[in-house]
Amino acid sequence: MKYFAILLVLTGFSSQLLAQQLREAPVTPAFTPVTWERLVNAADEPENWLMYSATLDSQRHSRLDQVNTGNVAELELKWAYQIPEIDRAETTPVVVDGIMFITEAPSNLVAVDAVTGRQYWRYDHELPDDLRICCGRNNRGVAILGETLYMSTLDAHLVAIDARTGNLRWDVEVADYAKGYSKTAAPLIVKDKVVTGIAGGEFGIRGFIDAYDPDTGERVWRTYAVAGPGDPNMSTWSGDSWRTGGAATWLTGSYDPELDLIYWGTGNPGPDWNGDVRLGDNLYSDSALALDADTGNIEWHFQFTPHDVHDYDAIQIPILADIEFQGSTRKVMMWANRNAFYYTIDRTNGDFMVGKPYALQTWAQGLDADGRPIRAPGMEPTYEGVVVSPSIGGGTNWFSPAYNPQTGLFYVNAFDGEQRFFKRDEDYEEGQRYTGGGGQYIQPMDTYNSAIRAIDPATADIVWDFPIQPRTTAGIMTTSGGLLFSGSVDGYFYALDAANGRELWHMSVGARVHSAPMTYAVDGQQFVTVAAGNVVFTFGLRD
Amino acid sequence: MHRLKLLFTCTGSYGMARRGTRLKSVSQALLATLGSLVLLPALAQDEGNLYNTGFDVRAGESYFQRQCSRCHGQDARGSDETGAPDLTGSLQRASTDAGVFTILREGIPSTAMLPVPVDTPDATVWQVVTFLNSLRTDPANINLPGDPTYGVSLYNGKGNCASCHMINGVGGRLGPDLSVVGERLDPDEIRSSLTDPDADVAPRWWTVRVTQRDGSVVEGLRMSEDTFGLRVIDENADLWSFHKNDIESYERERNSTMPGYARTMTENEIDHLVAYLFSLRKEN
Repeated sequence: MKYFAILLVLTGFSSQLLAQQLREAPVTPAFTPVTWERLVNAADEPENWLMYSATLDSQRHSRLDQVNTGNVAELELKWAYQIPEIDRAETTPVVVDGIMFITEAPSNLVAVDAVTGRQYWRYDHELPDDLRICCGRNNRGVAILGETLYMSTLDAHLVAIDARTGNLRWDVEVADYAKGYSKTAAPLIVKDKVVTGIAGGEFGIRGFIDAYDPDTGERVWRTYAVAGPGDPNMSTWSGDSWRTGGAATWLTGSYDPELDLIYWGTGNPGPDWNGDVRLGDNLYSDSALALDADTGNIEWHFQFTPHDVHDYDAIQIPILADIEFQGSTRKVMMWANRNAFYYTIDRTNGDFMVGKPYALQTWAQGLDADGRPIRAPGMEPTYEGVVVSPSIGGGTNWFSPAYNPQTGLFYVNAFDGEQRFFKRDEDYEEGQRYTGGGGQYIQPMDTYNSAIRAIDPATADIVWDFPIQPRTTAGIMTTSGGLLFSGSVDGYFYALDAANGRELWHMSVGARVHSAPMTYAVDGQQFVTVAAGNVVFTFGLRD
Repeated sequence: MHRLKLLFTCTGSYGMARRGTRLKSVSQALLATLGSLVLLPALAQDEGNLYNTGFDVRAGESYFQRQCSRCHGQDARGSDETGAPDLTGSLQRASTDAGVFTILREGIPSTAMLPVPVDTPDATVWQVVTFLNSLRTDPANINLPGDPTYGVSLYNGKGNCASCHMINGVGGRLGPDLSVVGERLDPDEIRSSLTDPDADVAPRWWTVRVTQRDGSVVEGLRMSEDTFGLRVIDENADLWSFHKNDIESYERERNSTMPGYARTMTENEIDHLVAYLFSLRKEN
């Protein structure tokens, strides 16, 4: 940790002095196994980015401050890595002791030198040619424990890869891809388990969250996200509709070591847009779940959108923090939902604390005292179509938000869109799309407003707003350098002042940023990385 | 209107062959389920698209809505959110039924266009091809009231259209190129563009008025805009690129710069112009 003290001193010095000091900085140690203790204390080693959301609380905040509000305008490109398989990169790399692990479309993994971007090894996952995927051939990242990386694959497998060589250690089928299951998200390590979700909410699957033994790949527990036999909440599904209830769990969750609870979001009920065949609240779709880490038992749930008919997945990263709320310190979970409402929730018990719209919405009149939406009449999809905000893409989507403990603000990429929502009669056929409708934009995308919005979690009020034209599908990261990094569909990567949203630096990266930025340091130099288009770009200050 | 007509035409024209076609459809579907997938595409392509009845249009539409509409839109007009192209006009990557069939079956490598699942019967793929065909307005099925020859005169004369629009490299630069407008728009859409140009203006043709720090103003068409910048073509066809941080302010005007012709031209004259513009295609 000594050299971070050096970095603090460096801030504001001339670049020449900076370079001299950097040369004197200690050499980053060779790759050392990533223990559970390292993961719990990941915030304390900000030179590494040890998991998808940086830390178990998913704040996506780095304590690195070599790059800061005073010098961010001097950032320059250090290297670029071209992903060979052309698609749409959604990866957040993981960095351990100077080695970067990048996931690629469709389900590949490469290890590169984090200073040069040059390859150590790659793992290409063999895939069947009849995949069932709704939304592109994506992979968002890996988890690491010890010397092993864990990755989801599009054929709904979980693979364990040796971090030093790229060799396959084990490969287990999580679910049958031919029935519509797939996997795209980074797993989460929780103590001695690999916790992971499932995708396929547009194929009439039954969503679940699994935990696996990291050494053997043996499944330890499975918790269904659709209440079924033995669960009283099965009554929230009419007839047998629970069998095809969806509630995919297609993003990564968070973990509170003190409460020993895993927090995970669930997706839309199936079929997405025709709720006639699944009357009821459809638990636990569109919910935040708190799971016992050892058993997977659902300790509490908070359903954001009961009986969803607009595809408002609760597939967002749960951000955990302890904040001042009405005169006392509270353990909260912050959540800007796809349904365009922001929520602060007590993460000890799932109680609603405060919530307000953060993006344009017309589907609800507001939230009641328990945080349950008060539906606006006439907003359900019809055969002819009805215009509703937000659009199917939502007020936000899976793009990582961030929380900066220094500013006390929560940051989200927001979209004020609208769409005409249709419903359609559709029979379930195994392995086929089962959505019951869809949506159609009625105006060009350039018509709608989009912005990064900073929210005070104690009040749910928007503190500042940075407009994006035309919109963004990128995640957010903040740093102790007072910076907020994000990107946008128009192909920019940029830095704002996290305190007030003032633009400090931007770089045209030439293609949509559909990933979240991350930061790390090697031998005392801080780097900032983001994937745009099919390229991973890494920036740093001038040497 | 024209799409409905075409759908009716399809049903009528192929009514005689329908029984045989349906038998073929069932037999091929059965063969497909028996795993004889390899032989079928060649067979089907050799004989052309046999699945071209009104029934097939509806079956193809049903499949399209379920499998394709998420990216291409419910109306198949594409989406600037997903980047999927409009499928109702001429297609960039396929000009024949067999070409469209191949794209559906194999996808387009290095793009988001994935192939249909391998166990999808050929019959279903052909039905999607037929559905997509039904969205295109075949000029052979359209009997327009206007005369394209008069339309040319109006285009160059009274309408003064060439001052802003280009056809095959000749004309102005301040409106959309019309060289193949007949493949992009159907006659009703062309007519409404002429009579009510403000109704549906694409962002590329919005007007922006930029006030610079020194107080000078640049006005032109919005070529593109993003979070930090703005590109404009002015009335002299000069290109401008502004950084939003370096200008005083800017305004967007979503009306069209094109005059509406509903008052200045007779209905007959509009008919002639529509007939001419609809005739503008690659093959012409």
